Amino acid sequence: MAFAESQNPLRVYRIPQSRYIDAVRWLSPVSPSDRFAAIAYFDADTNSPSIEIAYVDPNPQSSSPTLTPQSSWTSPSRISSLRTAHSTPQPLLAAATFSGSLHILASDLINGGVMESEATVSQLGFHSGPVSAVDLREGGTECVSVGEDGRVNLVSFVGDSSKLNYRRIFDSNGLVGYTAVKWASPSEFATGGYGFGIQWWDQRTPGGPVLQFKGNWCQGKTSGIVHSIDIHPSRKHTCLAGGSSGTVFAWDRRAAQQPIVLSGAGTGEAPNSLLSESEVWEVQYDRYTRRSNIGNISSTRILPVMICSEDGILAVIEQGEEPLELLAEPCAINSFDIDRQNPSNVICSLEWESLAILTRS
Amino acid sequence: MPGVSSDSARGALVPLSPESPAAAVYPLRHGLKSPISRLSISWSRGNSLRVSVFAAPSSDGSVNDSDGGKVVEVKLGGGDGEISEAHWRRMAYGSVSPFALLQSRKNAVSSLSKMSMNSSPYDGDWWDYIMEYSKDINALLVNQKSASVPVLDDPKSVITKGEEPTSLKAAWELLEMFYAEKPSHSWLPERLVDWLADYDSLFSGTHPTVHSKLVDFQKELVNLQVVEDDPKYWEVMSSALAVGWLNIVVKMLRLHGSYRLDQLSNRETENGLVEAVAVLISKMPRMRLEHEAGKLGECYKAKPDFVKAWEKWRGQINKLDSSAFWFQCAHQQTREGLRSMLQIMLGNANSLCSATYNWIELYISHFLYMRPLTVGLESMYSLAQKSIQLKPMASAHRLMGLIIGILGENTEVVLAECLKGFGPWMVAHAIELLTAGSDHAEMLLHEERQNLGGISIEELHRLVYAQVLSSFPLTWQIAPIYLISCMKHGMVLLQILLSKQPVQDNQLLLKSIEICRLYELHSVTSNIMKIAGVHHWKHGRKGSGVFWLQQARDEYRLNRIALQLFDSVGKTISDESFKQWEGLIQLLGSDSKTAGGLEFLHKYRDFKKSLRQIHDGKATDSARQAVESLISLMKNPSTPQRFWLPLLYDSLKLLNWKERPLLNVSQTNLLLNKLQELSMARLRPDFIESELPPQALNSVRLALGTNLGRAILEE
Repeated sequence: MAFAESQNPLRVYRIPQSRYIDAVRWLSPVSPSDRFAAIAYFDADTNSPSIEIAYVDPNPQSSSPTLTPQSSWTSPSRISSLRTAHSTPQPLLAAATFSGSLHILASDLINGGVMESEATVSQLGFHSGPVSAVDLREGGTECVSVGEDGRVNLVSFVGDSSKLNYRRIFDSNGLVGYTAVKWASPSEFATGGYGFGIQWWDQRTPGGPVLQFKGNWCQGKTSGIVHSIDIHPSRKHTCLAGGSSGTVFAWDRRAAQQPIVLSGAGTGEAPNSLLSESEVWEVQYDRYTRRSNIGNISSTRILPVMICSEDGILAVIEQGEEPLELLAEPCAINSFDIDRQNPSNVICSLEWESLAILTRS
Repeated sequence: MPGVSSDSARGALVPLSPESPAAAVYPLRHGLKSPISRLSISWSRGNSLRVSVFAAPSSDGSVNDSDGGKVVEVKLGGGDGEISEAHWRRMAYGSVSPFALLQSRKNAVSSLSKMSMNSSPYDGDWWDYIMEYSKDINALLVNQKSASVPVLDDPKSVITKGEEPTSLKAAWELLEMFYAEKPSHSWLPERLVDWLADYDSLFSGTHPTVHSKLVDFQKELVNLQVVEDDPKYWEVMSSALAVGWLNIVVKMLRLHGSYRLDQLSNRETENGLVEAVAVLISKMPRMRLEHEAGKLGECYKAKPDFVKAWEKWRGQINKLDSSAFWFQCAHQQTREGLRSMLQIMLGNANSLCSATYNWIELYISHFLYMRPLTVGLESMYSLAQKSIQLKPMASAHRLMGLIIGILGENTEVVLAECLKGFGPWMVAHAIELLTAGSDHAEMLLHEERQNLGGISIEELHRLVYAQVLSSFPLTWQIAPIYLISCMKHGMVLLQILLSKQPVQDNQLLLKSIEICRLYELHSVTSNIMKIAGVHHWKHGRKGSGVFWLQQARDEYRLNRIALQLFDSVGKTISDESFKQWEGLIQLLGSDSKTAGGLEFLHKYRDFKKSLRQIHDGKATDSARQAVESLISLMKNPSTPQRFWLPLLYDSLKLLNWKERPLLNVSQTNLLLNKLQELSMARLRPDFIESELPPQALNSVRLALGTNLGRAILEE
């Protein structure tokens, strides 16, 4: 297994937070030197969940980055999923909770990062039980939420209506539970769930998923749950998914029901160097690449992928190459985010109540 | 917990002091107006109690807001006060890696020493490992709220405030210097001098200390014009000198008025005496390895060199003491102050006693000026006893108890002081140091004891610490590290801990399963999965429920919930609701082992699919497929009997296929037999009638009969 330190310099800073971190996301900066992050906290001492906007000073005198809280919003329940839309200077946040509500927050980064709740959906019947995942459409005014209750809801918000309206796209009545969701285009999105299944949805074709990726490719031996999905804007035909047993795979919609397994135990084919055997909590395409042009990579090849896992691994996987391990922590890495504007910066949340900020150069 | 013997006085696990403090009162803010009828108290997370308060129903039968009850949490105790809960958790997280590393190294060392019989397990890198462990733990104890260090050196600031010291760190450093540093006990007195310099302020809360006197004087110093006239100036300097804070004393001496340029000429002799004392102080010989840069005093590593320098230094002091210059010094306070400082340096017992404020300070001053060559714990202990006699104290600080225990070489006292003063975290981690180099302590702590339920003291304290970790939702995940290091009861307690974790949230559930996987607790895994499956099922998340039960390979429960599913299948599996079912059927897969009785659903779906294709007008091929599905469904023992008639009724079209009979003779016979079986079964009381038109059975029978005739003819 390759270690990052030997190949390219990597600086890692761990910042203790004294609170559990449920989710962490970068916010798109106002100016190139600014860094803001949205962090969903849970304070176990007072039992209070909140979302904070923090200014990340990458290099103060003390040579390690500092977090300066800018504003805070108290959530009615713990955050199960947090997404940001990259619009400046008022980035939008969509936060889903374990009590089944959805909150749209707007943060004004120019005026001191003040955060306001724009709108909330918390009606009975929106979701029963926790919302397991939410995704905010890029620059758009819609978000999609899914839950293990089998509901897929589309929430549109325009202007200043404080009560959000939602539309039920599908309800499986609990026969199928969804645990991950990601927009692919303004009308299409993908969901993931139990048994490594992925569903492809198109709003223009209502009544159910238009395509299903059968999860039983691993013959029931190491079946698991999809925890996270990513779709690259230039490769909309491919869904990238990460889940149980260290499994990271891609599903090319144009191809048959056979997945491209990037890492994990259920391969059976040429033994990939096993990166992790535990849950892969999050996957994202890694836009930070040493190659100058993504276009040079053949369209059948999967782009580089970053993952984080329960056994404390943060790594970059490239198809057919040795994975590059960035972090190996003694505790779980529960979520991470790659800075869109400056992909060399990665922020991740560690199980032991701390954040880690990585700078690749 | 390990078994508590019936004789609680002898078998007490955690010593309860009879003079426990007065009962604490915690007010409950439940906000209920009506009288309370019932209280229920249970443990919540950590040190909290969950109190459920039930109000008495109002007598007039009207309904108020406050009716019913409230659940409130009461946090017991204020913790350490010195260390916040968040800091405590940070310590708990941080100590996992050093502890686990040391355990694995210990195992490696002990297996190595078994292979080569003659070598002692404690040589080579062993002391490096222990020291690395101790340093790693020590680094965690640094208080985060460290004060900023001023950039400019204020000439009037005699003490600099560094990081806020904590008793916990002070205690750990004591243990480190006595147990972890490679036993070179000749340096111990000097290490204690340094230790007191760092932590004297900790005693200020309960006892008068040199540090607190210095802090007080520092405040007054700003307003003082002529310091040497103030008796406190001399008093404080003597005290600081007695405990060996040479830099502070020299800095204070230089505040003496005779150094001022306008007075230098008429106080020349006086200034000469002050400077002579300052120089003598800064040249004090010390028996130690080396000093931090900038610290005054001269270090000697070898005893003969030190003794020589020591005699010479004392000679110089004696010479100064008996010099004639004192008579020319006009300033009385200066004269007396300086000479009493010389007495301290000469080791005058009375001067030392009056310059120090508690026995530890007196003890340290004896090391510095009277018995710098003290070696061995025995003589250090007797010196400590003497100091306590000279400066007895009403109440002992928790650090003082620890020092006495360490010097008295009494491992049990040290452990008890650690537990009483610093809690289970300290004990669980300090045991590693206590057993590091002492065979006696190792035997004592590793011996299995009948009164502890057959476990050793070491295991007991690890179990206690693990219990503390387990009671907090954020730290329970690190308890397994400590539990698996317990040979006797660790594994069982780990299984209990894992089985008690909540299963509602997938993320937490998966974290528990991950721990099971690490320690190969497969039966616990499957139990947790079963609990999760039933939980999800009961809350209407059928897909999640089926998934977890499948993962647990729990055929019994899968078959049970299959029956419930079939009820809804009979009603809802129409063409429209097919999409809802599609996902679940996919999840089930085709592997009948993991699907249990639900395998039927899979085949039923295939059958329905091909039937639908016939409706769509796609001719004979799909019809043949449908017949095959039908036959395999009817042959399969997992197909519930109550579906037989609906299945056959659905296939009427196939039985009456116009072009030619689709079923051959044996297939038709099979279906007829099933129909016969069904007719018999209808007589039984537990038979469930399907919701079909009453003539359904007859029309199926007729169709089968017709088909049989056609099939015979064809063959």
